[in-house]
Parts: sequence; C-alpha cells; structure tokens
Amino acid sequence: MKKNRKKNRKRSPEQDIKDWPRERRTTRITHINDGELDFYRRRAMYSSVVLVFFFAALVSRLWYLQIQQGEEYKKLAKNNRVRYLEIAAPRGNILDRKGREIVTNRPSFNVVWVREKNRVDDELIKKTAQILDIEIAEILGRTRKMVGTPGHVPIRLAEELSWDKVAYIENNRMELPGIKIEVVPQRVYHYGNLASHLIGYLGEISQKELKSPSFAGYRSGDMIGKMGLEKLREKDLCGEKGRHYMEVNALGFEQRNLKGEEPLPGNDVQLTIDVDLQQIAEELMMKDDKSGAVVAIEVNTGRLLVLASSPVLELDKFLGGISIKNWKEMLSNPHHPLINKIIQGQYPPASTYKIVTAIAALAEGVITPENSIYCPGRYRFGNRTYGCWKKTGHGAVNLKRALAESCDIYFYQVGQKLGVNRIAEYALRLGLGRKTGVEMEHEKSGLIPTSEWKLKRYKKPWQEGETLSIAIGQGFNLVTPLQLALMTATVANGGTLYQPGMIETVRDPDSHIIEQFEPKVLNRFEDQANNLKIIKEGLVEAVNGRHGTARRAKLENITVAGKTGTAQVVRLKQYKHLKEEEIPYKYRDHAWFTCFAPAERPEIAVTVLVEHGLHGGSAAAPIAKAVLEQYFGQRAKKTDREGGTDSTALSTASHTSHTSHASHE
Amino acid sequence: MFQFDRQFIHNFDWVMVVILLLISIMSLASLFSATWNGGPSPSPIFFKQLYFFLFGYALILLILNIDYNELEILSYLAYVAICLLLVYTKLFVDSIAGTQRWINLGFFHLQPSEPAKLILVLVLASSYSNREYMEKGYRLRDIVQPAAITAVPFLLILIQPDLGTALMLAILFTSMTLFAHLRWSTIIMLGSSGIVCGALGWLYGLKDYQRRRIETFLNPESDPMHHGYQIKQSKIAVGSGQAFGKGFMEGTQGHLNFLPERHTDFAFAVWCEELGFAGSLFFLICFFFMLFWGINIALTARDKFGVYLAFGLVMLIFWQTVINLFMIMGMLPVVGIPLPLFSYGGSSLLTTLVAIGILMNIRMRRFQTK
Repeated sequence: MKKNRKKNRKRSPEQDIKDWPRERRTTRITHINDGELDFYRRRAMYSSVVLVFFFAALVSRLWYLQIQQGEEYKKLAKNNRVRYLEIAAPRGNILDRKGREIVTNRPSFNVVWVREKNRVDDELIKKTAQILDIEIAEILGRTRKMVGTPGHVPIRLAEELSWDKVAYIENNRMELPGIKIEVVPQRVYHYGNLASHLIGYLGEISQKELKSPSFAGYRSGDMIGKMGLEKLREKDLCGEKGRHYMEVNALGFEQRNLKGEEPLPGNDVQLTIDVDLQQIAEELMMKDDKSGAVVAIEVNTGRLLVLASSPVLELDKFLGGISIKNWKEMLSNPHHPLINKIIQGQYPPASTYKIVTAIAALAEGVITPENSIYCPGRYRFGNRTYGCWKKTGHGAVNLKRALAESCDIYFYQVGQKLGVNRIAEYALRLGLGRKTGVEMEHEKSGLIPTSEWKLKRYKKPWQEGETLSIAIGQGFNLVTPLQLALMTATVANGGTLYQPGMIETVRDPDSHIIEQFEPKVLNRFEDQANNLKIIKEGLVEAVNGRHGTARRAKLENITVAGKTGTAQVVRLKQYKHLKEEEIPYKYRDHAWFTCFAPAERPEIAVTVLVEHGLHGGSAAAPIAKAVLEQYFGQRAKKTDREGGTDSTALSTASHTSHTSHASHE
Repeated sequence: MFQFDRQFIHNFDWVMVVILLLISIMSLASLFSATWNGGPSPSPIFFKQLYFFLFGYALILLILNIDYNELEILSYLAYVAICLLLVYTKLFVDSIAGTQRWINLGFFHLQPSEPAKLILVLVLASSYSNREYMEKGYRLRDIVQPAAITAVPFLLILIQPDLGTALMLAILFTSMTLFAHLRWSTIIMLGSSGIVCGALGWLYGLKDYQRRRIETFLNPESDPMHHGYQIKQSKIAVGSGQAFGKGFMEGTQGHLNFLPERHTDFAFAVWCEELGFAGSLFFLICFFFMLFWGINIALTARDKFGVYLAFGLVMLIFWQTVINLFMIMGMLPVVGIPLPLFSYGGSSLLTTLVAIGILMNIRMRRFQTK
C-alpha cells in the first residue's frame, strides 16, 4: 500500500511533466488522452476484485480438502497403497491313534494374477499362457469366474508349478506385472488312499458356499473340505489365514514389504483309527478287487480302529479339483467307490442276525440254552418249505450248536415263537435300524421291520412266513457294516451299547488338547450278562468248534468268537444249478463275518462285509482274522499266561496304554 | 533497437524478478520430487526443465531491451506465423495420443498452441488499444475484428483437438473484450448466444472422451477406475497432505504413481501432498502476489496498449492457474491446461516467461515515451 501511494504520487501527470525533458513532454501529451488511459487503469484496478475472489475460492478449497477432510483423504491414500495378500494357513494334520501322520501338508507353487485397476491385458495373458503352457481360454475362464471381485484379489491361473517354471516367472517378473507365485500348502497323503472315505478330500470353495454365512471369511479360490472329516472338521482343520501387507504403486508392483501376520495352522486331528489295522484291512479287500467294508471297534469304549470301505477313493485325483472324466469314471464303476459302504451300504445281515434272534429268545424266555430242536434240513410252514443251508440237516441242535453251525431251522422256529416285533425290539436295543451318529456324512439307518412298519409302508398286514426270513436276517432286514460291528461289540462287552467315535483328540497348534474322546454309553442291557455269555459260547464254537462255520478266523492263542453270514442278493431259480463262480457278479451273495476277541475278556470287535463274496466263512472271515492277528500281534502267538496278565490293562481301554503296559512287564 | 538505456537498471522490475525466482525454485523443487526415480541423480526431465528456465530467463533479458510498442508490429507477424504453424501441425504432424499438438524441432517438441495464447493477447491488445474510445462502450460491430482474430487460432486448435487450450483462447478473448468496455446490450446478446453455442457444442461438437470427462466430473463415482480416477487420485493427493504435508519427497500418491500426469498437469498436487496446506498457501500467496503485481503494472503502464497488454498477460497466467488448480482440487473436469511456471513442458514455460518478460518490459518503460 505504501509503495502504491508512492507510485501514485510519481505518476501524477504534473510531476511527470515537470521532471522530463521538453521533447519527451510534447510527445507524451500528443500521444495520450489521459482521461481515456485513466479509464482503463481504473478498469484494471477493478479487475483485481476477480483475482481476489478466485484466490479466496482456491484457499478455502485447499482448507476444505487438506484441513477439514485431510484425515479422510489420508486414510484413502493409505488404502490406496497398502494391499494385503492372504496367506493360506496350513490345514491341521490328521494322525492315527499312535500319532502317525496320515495327512499333512507340503508347499505347492501356484501362479496367481493380481489385476490392478481391473484391466485385462491381452498381451500379459498371452505371455502367461505361453509360459504356463496352458490355453488362453483356460485363463480367461478362470478370470471370468472372478469378475466382480476387487482387483487385488488374486486369480489363480495354474496350480502345482514345476521348479523351472517357478524360477522362470520369478526371473521375468518385470515383464509380467501382477503375475505372482503363491505358495500354498497342499495335502500330502502319507499312506496313499488309506481311509479315504473317512478322511475325504478338499476342493475349491464354490460360489454358493461363499455366500453361506458358515463360510464367512473365506474367499474365492480357497480350498475347503468337500467330504469326510476334511468337511466335517473344517472348522478345526482350516486354521487362520495370515496376511502379507505390502506397499504397492498404481500399477500393482510391490514396492515395499510391511509387517504382516503369520498364518495360524489348523488343529491336528488324531483319529482312533490304527494305521496298521486299517492298512491290513484295505490291502486284503483290494485283493481280487473286492468291494465291501471292514470295521473294527474297541468293545469297551466305542473307539473305531478300522473304518475301511472298498474300493478306496483315489485321493490324488481330487487334488486341485477332480476332472469330469475321473468323476464319471467313479460314478460308473460297478464297485461304487463313491459309496462309503461302512455307513451307506445296507445289506441283509443274514445269519449274523441270528445273534439278535438268540438274544431276544433267551431274554423273552421262549427257549432255554438246553432246548434242542431237530433239523431235518427243511422246515415246512404254511404251504411253503423253508430249507436249511445244510440240506442234509443238522439233526438235534441246541442254541450253542445252532449258532456255531448256523442252523436255519432252529432259528425259523425260535423266530416264529418270538414274532417279528419282539425280534425288532432287541435289534433296536443293539443299535440296529437307526443311525449310529458316527462322524461321517449321509449315514443310512438300515431297516429293522415290524408289523406296524409293514402296514404303514406297504398297506399290508405282516405275514407270519416273513418272520421266518427275518429270524435268519433275510427279508426286509437291512444293516450297515458299522451297525453290525456295534452290535457285535455290545454282545462282546456284556450289553453296553457305546456311541462309536473316531476322533481321539483334537489339538491346537500349541499341542493343547481341545477335544478328547470320551466313551459314551447309549444303551445298557442290565440283566442280560448271563444270556450273552451263552451266546458268546455259541460264537466261540462257531470259530473254534469242529463243525463251526467260521473256523478260518481261528487264532492260535486268542479265542475268537464270531458269526458268519451269507446274504442272498436275489433268489433266482435260473442260477440255482450253476456253480457259484458262474453266477454273474452282481447276483452273487454278500459275505458277512462279525467277531470279537479275546472271547474271555473282549477287546476288539471286527466286522467284515464282502459284497458278492459268496460265503462269509471263506470270503470275509480270513480278513477279520488278519486284522485280529495284526491287532494282537505277539500276543496271538505267545502263551496264555501273558495274554491273561494283559487283561488288567484292558480296563484303561486304550490300546496305546495297553501296549506300553505290556512292554513294562 | 538494442540500445542500452541508462534507466534500464534504475527502472528494472526487481519485485517481479524476486517473485519469479521464488516461484521458479518452488517449481523446480516440486518437479525434482515428482520425477525422482530413486536413482542417485535427478531425472533428465528435471534438467530439461531447468534448461528451459535458464533459456527463458535469457529470453526475458532479450525482451527487456525491446520497447514493447515495437512488439505490437512484431505480434502481427507472429500471429500469421503461428496460424500457419497450426495449419502445418494439423496437416503434416502425426498424431500423438489422438491429437496433433506437437512439432518436433529435434531438441524440443514445440506445442504451437502455447505461444498462440500469448500472441493472441498481443494482437488483441493492439486491436483494442487502436480502437477509438467510446464513452458508452463498444457495440457488437466494434468487436467483429478482434473476434475474427480470435476465431482463426481458436478453430485451428479446436480441431487438433485440444479443447482446453481452445477454451483458453475464448476465455482470453472474453476477458479482454469485457475489459475493453462493452455496452450492456452487447454483453447480454453475446452471453445468450454463447450459451446457445455451448449447448450446441456439447450436443454435437464434443468428442466422446471430452464429454465423458465432463460427465465424470459431474458424477465422479460413475466410473471411478477410469475417468474419475485422475480427479479422485488428485483429490486424495491434495487432501492427504493435511496441514503440513507428508514431507518433501515423501508423497505416496505421487511417488507410487497413483497420481497421473504428476509432473505436468497435476504437478501442483505433488506440491500439496508433500508440503500440505502451509506450503500450498505459501505458493498461492506468491503466485497471486505476482498476478496483483501484474495488475499494478497495468495500472502504471504509460499507454493504452501497455494497459491492455499487461491486463491480457495477467489474464493469460491467471486463468490458466485458476483452471488448473480447480481441476486438481476437483472443482472442474480434467482439461489439459498446465499450471504456468509449474507444469513440466517447454512450450508452456517459455510462453509464460516471455509473458512475464513483457510485463517487466511494460513496468520498466512506464515513465518513458516512445
């Protein structure tokens, strides 16, 4: 302002003119009309109002953005540059009862693409496809699935990269913006397909699953359990993802690593399954391509030691998603590998059901152990003749012999005395005809018919002739191998029905136990101990007696008690005269064998079903025997004395503690 | 013509020199930060701009020796030359990024539309100052000649296409014409026809990308990843600077490439991010002081041409500044108007320095007669 005044003074025309030389003064006066010049000078001065206005506008806008909204923009700037990549957590391991690793993890190298700014770069896709040796369409297909997700969420382009490809991509990362190597834990199956139905497999999470609230926190591309324990114990196994924070520039290039969070591995799940036993069972089932199931259970706790369904699933085929071809192959396989026969296979229990009939008959007092019935080889009821499997007849048989030699005639008559509903009552109490509640999916309940059921189901009254079939485990009767194993265990332990379980412990990564197996009693026959002892004698005789049907399951130093069964699939006259081997596979009888040992102080029950295996004694019993041999190990060959001392350890119910106890002695 | 005047030093515009140097230093510092690529030495872009500054100062010294009244005659020659250059650009130059703006001179890509702004100011100042003074203000027919003078380069630049610079010419013409004092009836008539032209231009004249830019500006969320991206990132850069900035060379928006065109059109956003409100305010005060000083030069100019010219030059710098800063702060759509003295680019920088040189020239000769 001071300056201006000074200048104004200087500029006053009089003064100017006075100071200047004459000729200059004249030119100036002729050239300029001062009034006009002043008019424009004034206008120039007024125009500075416009400048002031815009200056004020700019300053207030700056104030608004930087001071008032500054905090907000600072956050935006931070979000702009800080990205995170999620690091998959290693899934929990799956161990057997002795701590042997069945399923663990190993690193797998995947290629992912981080699309910054949602740009689709044709050149990049082309280059990447070439390096990975895959079709461009494949990349585009995987990209399309991720449309709509934020650009920094990586799209997986290829899995299980070989080392040279990993090295190539790492070395050429400048030319492949956004293409990154992701290290992901991948499942390793140390025992191949061991217990595959039980363990299950992983698959990529589907869009539908992503939307469900139970998968909150999961992202597209995550692997989740799709079957078996991997699915049922997803919450235990999955662990917590880690995060890798980094500063990126606008092109998505990583500039700097920031602090991150390490992933937390999932909990380890220890099974009650014994790898040795499971392996023996599966190997023997695999021989001659048998299909069926083997179940072994600790009779005093309900721990499942073997859960084998044959044929096994080929778990490797499921890694990284199963192909349609492989899936169709499995579906069309006549041995139905996708069916978990342990709980989904329902078969007539056949002669093994005679145990149920016998228990019911003793409990209801319709027979005494000493009562004998004459078996001429056939039995006439109504206008039909029911045959015994031994066409020449067994002669006079009491309960023990009837069980040992599996006399049908004896049980026809006993069953007839009992009636269908009374048999059903005991079957249900032994755990048949209802789901066991074991941790496997899609369990079938089997079927124990009653007259009421038939009326409801078929709108027809019960025929007494049908009771005869029921009494020997044919007809409407259906059980799963697990149910039958449970029933056998209940008979073995003197009448306690345990909830079957297969999880020994669940431990967090710090080895703290967060879940432990506890035997759970579902049902107890208080007053049946004596009756069961009589039945046990019959079952011992079946294995050890001279005419027993299950002699092939006999062990040297361990007394095995068991019952065979041969379940008719169809009753077709045209096959009657054929030799068994000539009957088409799918019409052959199913072979059952169920047993427990040692008979004196039972520890383990084993149930074997071989689909279309013809005879329980020949097809199923040897498998059970092998499992028992493996289970008892040295004890099966040593003297009785030592086996006897071992029994004190049985009260602790754990096989692990049992062996350690034995080694102390 | 190049005779040394003993009053040269006595009347030298030291105020303008100081303010110009201050702004130059800020500009170069900001450019240094914006273009620094992590290496041990500044980027070649920085050195190029530095040389342009030095060359521009030399040009100013040269211009100070020529009486600005002699520039009046030169300006008509320059006007014809620049129109021919614009025609040449349109006809013979390969397009870069969809427009034909640059002529390759080997050492430097000349953008003729930049000096065209300055030359237009000179020619318009001459045209209006030679017009007979009318107490009631000019009528429409009195401004036909300056309008025609503007229209030629305006259309040539519009078809490059460079909407921003063309609009700049129109704004300069409008400012100077309003300054020349129009009758109210004429203003109303021109204003309403301007609105009609604008509406027609919007509907039929604009290229798709130009229309989208304006639409994006009006609704930035509609397309955040593409056209709204620049505005959004620029606002984040400015806003995240807060009161005192992230520190020189510490701006994340600029250094991590989120900010587009960070050494050219969005150069000031880098400054705002790194030095915050304090630094930005300091810059604005310096810059507007320079503009007010320019107005003062107009107030003290010795003749009508000098007043018109000084006013026109101030408007040239002022409008570019306002439009660029409004754009950076998200108050205007993205149009390619650089920030004078601040944005990287030789054509714009030299044009601005020459304009400042002429202002100093007028200031120096305020007591002189021809």
